[in-house]
Amino acid sequence: MMMALWQAFVVSTHNLLPWFDGVIATVLIILIKAFALIMPLMLVVAYFTYAERKMIGYMQLRIGPNRVGPRGWLQPIADALKLMTKEIIFPSKANIYLFLLAPVLAIAPAIAVWAVIPFAEGIFVVDLDVSLLYVLAIGSIGVYGIILAGWASNSKYPLLGALRSASLLVSYEIVIGFALVTVVMIAGSVNLNTIVEAQRGGILHWYWLPLLPMMIIFFISALVETNRAPFDVVEGESEIVGGTHVEYSGMTFAIFFLAEYANMILMAVLAVLLFFGGWHSPFMGIPYLEFMFSWVPGIVWLLAKSSFFMFLYLWVRATFPRFRYDQIMRLSWKVFLPITIIWIFVVALMTQLKLGVWFG
Amino acid sequence: MAEIHNYTLNFGPQHPAAHGVLRLILEIDGEVIKRADPHIGLLHRGTEKLAESKPYNHSIGYMDRLDYVSMMCNEHAFVMAIEKMLEIEVPQRAQYIRVMFDEITRILNHLMWLGTHGLDVGAMSIFLYAFREREKLIDCYEAVSGSRMHATYYRPGGVYRDLPDKMPQYLESDFRTNKELAQMNKNRQGSLLDFIADFTEEFPKSIQQYDDLLTDNRIWKQRLVNIGIVTAKRAKQLGFTGPMLRGSGVAWDLRKKQPYSVYNQLDFDIPVGVTGDSYDRYLVRMEEMRQSNRIIKQCVAWLKDNPGEVMSDDHKVAPPSRVAMKDDMESLIHHFKLFTEGYCLPKGEVYCAIEHPKGEFGIYLISDGANKPYRVKIRAPGFAHLAAMDEMTKGHMLSDVVTIIGTQDIVFGEIDR
Amino acid sequence: MGKKFKKLIKNFSLSELRAGLGITAKELVNKKITVQFPEERTPISPRFRGLHALRRYPNGEERCIACKLCEAVCPANAITIESEMREDGTRRTTQYDIDLFKCIFCGFCEESCPVDAIVETQIFDYAFIDSREGSIINKARLLEVGDKNEDMINKTKLEDAKYK
Repeated sequence: MMMALWQAFVVSTHNLLPWFDGVIATVLIILIKAFALIMPLMLVVAYFTYAERKMIGYMQLRIGPNRVGPRGWLQPIADALKLMTKEIIFPSKANIYLFLLAPVLAIAPAIAVWAVIPFAEGIFVVDLDVSLLYVLAIGSIGVYGIILAGWASNSKYPLLGALRSASLLVSYEIVIGFALVTVVMIAGSVNLNTIVEAQRGGILHWYWLPLLPMMIIFFISALVETNRAPFDVVEGESEIVGGTHVEYSGMTFAIFFLAEYANMILMAVLAVLLFFGGWHSPFMGIPYLEFMFSWVPGIVWLLAKSSFFMFLYLWVRATFPRFRYDQIMRLSWKVFLPITIIWIFVVALMTQLKLGVWFG
Repeated sequence: MAEIHNYTLNFGPQHPAAHGVLRLILEIDGEVIKRADPHIGLLHRGTEKLAESKPYNHSIGYMDRLDYVSMMCNEHAFVMAIEKMLEIEVPQRAQYIRVMFDEITRILNHLMWLGTHGLDVGAMSIFLYAFREREKLIDCYEAVSGSRMHATYYRPGGVYRDLPDKMPQYLESDFRTNKELAQMNKNRQGSLLDFIADFTEEFPKSIQQYDDLLTDNRIWKQRLVNIGIVTAKRAKQLGFTGPMLRGSGVAWDLRKKQPYSVYNQLDFDIPVGVTGDSYDRYLVRMEEMRQSNRIIKQCVAWLKDNPGEVMSDDHKVAPPSRVAMKDDMESLIHHFKLFTEGYCLPKGEVYCAIEHPKGEFGIYLISDGANKPYRVKIRAPGFAHLAAMDEMTKGHMLSDVVTIIGTQDIVFGEIDR
Repeated sequence: MGKKFKKLIKNFSLSELRAGLGITAKELVNKKITVQFPEERTPISPRFRGLHALRRYPNGEERCIACKLCEAVCPANAITIESEMREDGTRRTTQYDIDLFKCIFCGFCEESCPVDAIVETQIFDYAFIDSREGSIINKARLLEVGDKNEDMINKTKLEDAKYK
C-alpha cells in the first residue's frame, strides 16, 4: 500500500510539472528520498551515542546520563547543542583549507554509501546492480578524511594516528574484500537485493551457517574499519589521546563523530544483509510461528537484527583491552587473510559438490 | 641527501596515561622508542623542607599526601621512625590495628593500580569494578579516622582512637525501595570489625572476577607478556624493591626478612615471579591482594578477642584522654605541652623502612634534640623505578610505554614529594 | 594429541573472550552502585571531619576562651586569633578566622581544644562562592554554623565520646 502511494506521488509530480521535461520533478524526488534517508539516520546516530553511554554505563555498574530530560533522553540534543556552539580552534600554521576539508571527506562517503542499502523489499533509494562493490568502493574513501585530518593538524599526535590508520584500514579492506568474495560466490550476484533474496526460507537458509568464520572475520574487520575498541589505536585515548581528532573542536569534531557512528551502523546493517537474511523473518519455514509473525513488516526484522549487532559493538568495547598497533597488522596479514583464502577454497568445494540448501 | 632525525614526542604532563604529572620526552623512530627521558618535579611541594619547620606530629599529615593512594603505610614508616628514636612501647592492640590497616591500604593501592593499568591498556570496565571494592575500604578509613583518604590516624605511641562499635548506614531516599536499602545495609549492622570480616568473605569472589576478565584474555597477554623485562641481577642493581623486584624472581619482602610490628606472628606467603615481565608483576600483585586478605582475616580474629589500650601511657608523647585532661592538673599540663610545643626527640639519627605496596618506603630522620626534626629524608620506591624507565622502554613501541608506566605503579606524589 | 586439539578448538572459538563477555553481560543486569548525589548521600561516620563550627554551652555562653591551642597546633597555620578581656571580665576572642583555603581538615584543632569549642561538623557540601574572602570564615559565621547545627553536632560528639 505504501508502494502504491509512492508511485502515485511520482506519477503526479511528473504530470504536474510538464515543462522542464520532468527534470525538476526527478530532482525533487531524489531530494525527498535523500532527506527521508538522512534525517532518520542522523537521529539514529545521535541516539546510538546515548545508547552507548547508557549501555556501557550499565555494564560498568553505573547508570549513564540520567539528568538531562526524563531519564536522560535529551542528552544527545544537549550534546549536539554544545558541539554546535563551541569555538573551532585552528592550530597555528595549519593549512586551513585542508583542515576544514578533512571532516567533509570523512562524512560524505559515510552518508553516500547509504544510498544503495535496501531496508525491505523495494525500499531503497537506488537499486544498483553492483551495489556491494559500490559500498566497498565508497566506504574506502573515508580513509582519506582521517589521513588528511592527521596531516592538516600540524601536530605530532594526529600524524601518528593518521599513519596508523592509513596502513590499518587498507589492510583490513583486503580482508573484508576476501570475506565478501565468499558471500558473492554463494549468492551468485553482487546486487544486495539479490543476496538477500537468495537467503529466503528460514533461519537455516541464511549465510551465517556455511560462512561462520567469515561472519566473525567480517565483524572483527568492521570493528577495525570503524576504529572501535579493541582496535581503536587510531584514536588511542590513552596513548595518542584522540589521535587524528585531537585538534578538532566544536562542529568539526561533531562531523567526525557522526561519520564514525554512521559507519558503525552501516557495518551492522551490512552484516545483517549479507549473513543474517536481511529483512526475512527468522520464523519462515516453521509452519505455526510463520503465520503468527507474518504481520511484522520486513524493515522491523532488519532493524531488530542490526540492533543486536550494534549492541555487540558496545559490549565488546566495554570488555576488552586494546591491541597494540603491530599486533593488529599481524592479525590481518598472518591470521585473517589465510583463513579467508582457505575458506574460499572450502566454499568452492561446497559449491561444486552442491552440499546443503544454499548451493544449487 | 636529507638527514634523518628521530621523532621527538612530548608525552606531556597533560596526558590521560601519565599518572600524575609526568613529562616524558620520547625519541621514537617510527613507533619504536630509541630513548625515554622523564622530567619530574612538576608536583614538588617541599615536603622535606616543610617538615623541618614543624613539630613531629604535624608532619604526619604531610606523609599521607606523599603517595596519595596508599596513605596509612606512609604514616606507618614515619611514626615507626619516631618511636624507634624515642624507644617507647606501642600496645599490642595498636600494633594489630596498624597491621590490619596496612594490609587494607595494600589492597586499596593494588585495586587502584589494577583499575588504572587496565584503563590505560584499554579495558575500561575493570576500573569501575575495582573502585566498587575501594569504596567499601574507604568507608572503613572514614569510620575509624573521620576522613576518606588522608587519615592522619597513626600517632607515635599507637593509633588515634579505637575502632568504632557502629558502622554508618545508608539513609532512606526516593531512589531506593526498602528492600534495596536493607540489602545495602546488610553488612553494616555490626561493628567495624564485622564489616571488615564481611569484606574479607566477599573479596575473593571479586578477585576471581578480575581474574576471569583479564588473566587469560589473549589481548591482555599480548599487551603484557615480554614487555619491560628486567632480570633479577639488573633489578637489584637498579634499586628496585617490592613487586618490581619480586616479579623478577628475587624473594625479598621486608615483612619476612626484617619483620616489624606484629608481622612475625602472622601467617602469610609472598608471591615471586619468574621472568620479570609486566605479566609476572601483574600476577604477583593479584596474588598479594589475596594474601593481604588472609592477613586481614587473622587480624580481625585477634582484635575481636583482645580488647585493650590503643595508645601508649607515656604522656610525654601521647595526649591523655579528654576526661582525665578535664579532671587532673598533670594531664592538663601534658595536654598543653603536647599541643603547643610537642615532644623532643633525643639527638641521633634513624632509618626506618616498611614494605609499602609499591616497594620499600623509608624515612631517614636526623634529630638534634629539638621538637622539630633536623632533616627528614624520604626514600620513595617509585623514584628508583621511574629512573629505570629509559632502560625498560628501549626497543619497545609507543603503546608499551603506557603499559610500562602502569606496571611500575608510578604515583607522582611520592616521586616529587 | 587430544590436548593439542582441544587447545586449538579453544583458541579458534575465542573461549576466554566469550567468558569475559559473559562477565560484563552479568554486570549489565546487576544492581547499580550509583548513589544519586544531591538527593541521596553516602553514609557518614560521627568522626567525619567537615566544616568547622564554634559551639556554645547550653546556657548560651560561647565556649571559646581564647587559649590559642588550636592556633598553635594547626599544621597549616590556618587559624588566626586575637583576644581581649570582655566587659564582664572574662577572656574571649575578638577575631577568630579559619582560612579554609589553607585548612587540611586534619582535626587537630578539635583534638586540642580543652573546652570542646571548635569542632568539625559533618557538613562537606558548603560552597562560599560569592567571593574569595567568603572562604576565610570568621567568628560570627562559625558561631552561626554552630547554632544552626547544634543538634547534629551534639549527637555526633556524644556518640564518639567514649573513644576519646
